[in-house]
Amino acid sequence: MFMNIMSPKERLNNSLIGKRVDRPPVICSGGMMNAAIVDVMQKTGHTLPEAHTDSSLMSELSTDIAGYTGFENFGLPFCMTVEAEALGSGINMGTLACEPKIASEPFSSVTTVEFRDIHEAVKSSRINTVAGSAYTLSRKYPDIPVVGSLTGPISTAASIVDPMTFLKDLRKSREESHRVIEYVSDFLIEYAKILVESGAGIICIGDPTATGEILGPKIFGEFALHHINRVIDGIHSAGALAILHICGNMNSVKHLIPELKADALSTDAMVNLRELKREFPGIKTMGNLSTYALEFGDPYKIEVMTDKLLKDGIDIISPACGLSTSTGLDNIRAMTETVKSGGA
Amino acid sequence: MNDLKEKLIIELSDAVVEMDEDRTVKISGEIIKEELDAYEAIDRGLASGMERAGKFFEEEEYFIPELLMCADAMYAGLDILKPHIRRKEEKEKLKIVIGVVEGDTHDIGKNLVKIMLETSGFDMIDLGRDVPPSKFVETAIETGADFIAMSTLMTTTMDAMGAVIDLLKKDNIREKFKIIVGGGPVSQGFADKIGADGYSSNAAECVRLVRNLSGITVRDR
Repeated sequence: MFMNIMSPKERLNNSLIGKRVDRPPVICSGGMMNAAIVDVMQKTGHTLPEAHTDSSLMSELSTDIAGYTGFENFGLPFCMTVEAEALGSGINMGTLACEPKIASEPFSSVTTVEFRDIHEAVKSSRINTVAGSAYTLSRKYPDIPVVGSLTGPISTAASIVDPMTFLKDLRKSREESHRVIEYVSDFLIEYAKILVESGAGIICIGDPTATGEILGPKIFGEFALHHINRVIDGIHSAGALAILHICGNMNSVKHLIPELKADALSTDAMVNLRELKREFPGIKTMGNLSTYALEFGDPYKIEVMTDKLLKDGIDIISPACGLSTSTGLDNIRAMTETVKSGGA
Repeated sequence: MNDLKEKLIIELSDAVVEMDEDRTVKISGEIIKEELDAYEAIDRGLASGMERAGKFFEEEEYFIPELLMCADAMYAGLDILKPHIRRKEEKEKLKIVIGVVEGDTHDIGKNLVKIMLETSGFDMIDLGRDVPPSKFVETAIETGADFIAMSTLMTTTMDAMGAVIDLLKKDNIREKFKIIVGGGPVSQGFADKIGADGYSSNAAECVRLVRNLSGITVRDR
């Protein structure tokens, strides 16, 4: 058996750059797809919402998650609100079982956005928290990859501008919309740089507003593709690898996949990744174990489903979407252990 | 006179489909000026335009930005026409309490469903986003609603939908309301599991779901 001879960091990096691996890594990227489940927090007492704003608690909780779940990475932070908060949105920090959320968007439309100095904006206290935790974890555990999660440019823009108006603005006020998303992207690149400098070697972008189902192929192509690629260029220039998660069924934007510059593409559970790989042999795939199955299924079912992903040749095994905080540890362990033992 | 009415009604419907708010305002003004039937203009003009837009949405010709702009055009016309409806023409509408469940701020999907149902002649009571289970139940009782519609985009908040049904069961009033659910992580399987009456995957489909279910509601009375 040539199982488990690489370090988790080497394995994940190799998977992303297309080099040989002993087996696929099994990770949970953080951000929208974080694994801070109630089961783990109750065992250790390192809890949310406190860990959202406390760097050492964030590191402890990340270590707990990796230890209990078996995911082979640290995924920071545990929410999607760090970016919008730094750009002026009001945040409700949530509870133990419920993630933070945008409480209020400061701008009513793209035409009223006040542009902040992004170099000042990245000095926000929560960016400090996340960067501090990335620094600590990457020094303390040099073999385990730190994945920094970034809320993508379309979702962040739709978190500082009223989202209903924002979606209409994409058609009504095209130029102003581009200008706002470009500003948001510049900020995201700056934030990503800080994460990379702190020790995150991989940045995973989750942009749930940027889906084919919401935007349609034309607006996705004009706005999402362009600005997400720009952020990915920024991540690459900072010396890190980039994963992009796209929500939804992707049908209407599938033809744009070859134009995405991400090192790997992560998708929702309804996307057949084996088919996607067949259609676009050049891409690396991440995913896509149903989070519904993880919450409501049993360990045997999870084993079978994980085994299928392995047989399908998925490059990185991961939950398909945001995990419910009430997901049971047994199911997550069934997933990670199946990958580590080379299949069911 | 009739020709003019038909012409304006078709133009009104087209203006909604074409997302042309200025035109729905202009045509609605003409309809009032010509003293044509405001109710008919809403029903066969604005609402028909939204129904066509909904069809485009289902056929993936339109996406959410387009549907929202059609809705803006429709509401702009509605603002002008509505005050001119003669009372007797207003039918008793079925009431639907709608909201995004506790712990969620994503309400685009809910807003779309609300728009499509409102356009189809239902009386919508919108609780907004981040609505606790007890609020759905209280409001449904207070307003004598026929339906409770809940949505979410986050898996972490799906359980709250089941909690609403449990609350209704506890008070022995589950059968008084039809419960429908939707949103990204929600599926027919989940709807069945928590004992909801229906699920739909998009706003246009939701109109058909409610129409089907309300047929049953009416018979039950």
